[in-house]
Amino acid sequence: MSTPKRTLIIIDQAPYGSFEGREALDMAFSLAAFDQTVSILFSGPGVNWLRKGQLAADIHQKSVEKNLAAAPIFGVQALLANAADCELFNLTQDNLLEQVELVKLTPELTGQFNHITFAG
Amino acid sequence: MAPIHTLHILNKTPGHQRHEACLAALGPQDALVLIENGVLALAKGLDTDVACYALMPDASARGIEDPASEVTMVSFDDMVALTSAAENVISW
Amino acid sequence: MSDLTMPERNNEGFLENAWDWNDRVAETIAEDDGLELTEKHWEIIRFLRTFYAEYEVSPPSNRLFVKAVKEALGEEKGNSIYLMQLFPGTPAKTACRIAGLPRPTNCL
Repeated sequence: MSTPKRTLIIIDQAPYGSFEGREALDMAFSLAAFDQTVSILFSGPGVNWLRKGQLAADIHQKSVEKNLAAAPIFGVQALLANAADCELFNLTQDNLLEQVELVKLTPELTGQFNHITFAG
Repeated sequence: MAPIHTLHILNKTPGHQRHEACLAALGPQDALVLIENGVLALAKGLDTDVACYALMPDASARGIEDPASEVTMVSFDDMVALTSAAENVISW
Repeated sequence: MSDLTMPERNNEGFLENAWDWNDRVAETIAEDDGLELTEKHWEIIRFLRTFYAEYEVSPPSNRLFVKAVKEALGEEKGNSIYLMQLFPGTPAKTACRIAGLPRPTNCL
């Protein structure tokens, strides 16, 4: 067995428009289930996953806000968000999901992971 | 095979935001592998200093000939070898 | 005529709408699997109902089902042998089907 990989999954697409993000979430959960260290980073329009108060039933979809709340239970290490993109989409401490950690997208950050993969 | 710091696997067409982001992120000891629609970068011409590879079946499927440039055409097996030679992998 | 109108189900027996579910529906689905529901079954079923109400997702795989039960009810119940005994086959699939939840996405 090789050493566990530190994986970062980046979701850079807005929620509800396509299935790719949900598939990425499934992938993150599955990696965590096999004791792989995995975190999720939201960037670009992807930060809109993290807005409080999503009423997805209005468009007959499941709420990604609620789905994301299950991440810690399934062993996902961290939910990260690119701070600059949060600012761009007016996500502040008031309307951002609590468990999210704001980060700067720097080589120091990405260097912490040896496998980075984008959703979709 | 020379060690690769980060292997960038790119499957997005030129013009896609992530295609451009990938090219901008290439570091001196990195390598780039073009797969799927990423091989269309060869049709457009690619200007980079890092070692560059393209997946042969994806290129030939799109009618893209083996370019005379510094791009090395590779098979699936070669790509697996590249992946294991790399310390880090980013799938764009 | 039965006094129970079974809600719509897909070709694998999962409810089309999780909110069409009630205890009688659960018992009927369990009968299809040859299971008689005991208090131990109900504990897991209620856990899954609560889980779904909160997260709007079924535990995506068997491993994650076991993990989620372990988080909520402890190691004694959150282990694959215990859950396999209660819900034969693939426990996550069997239990979600009976609890009226959607099919776990990563179970074959």
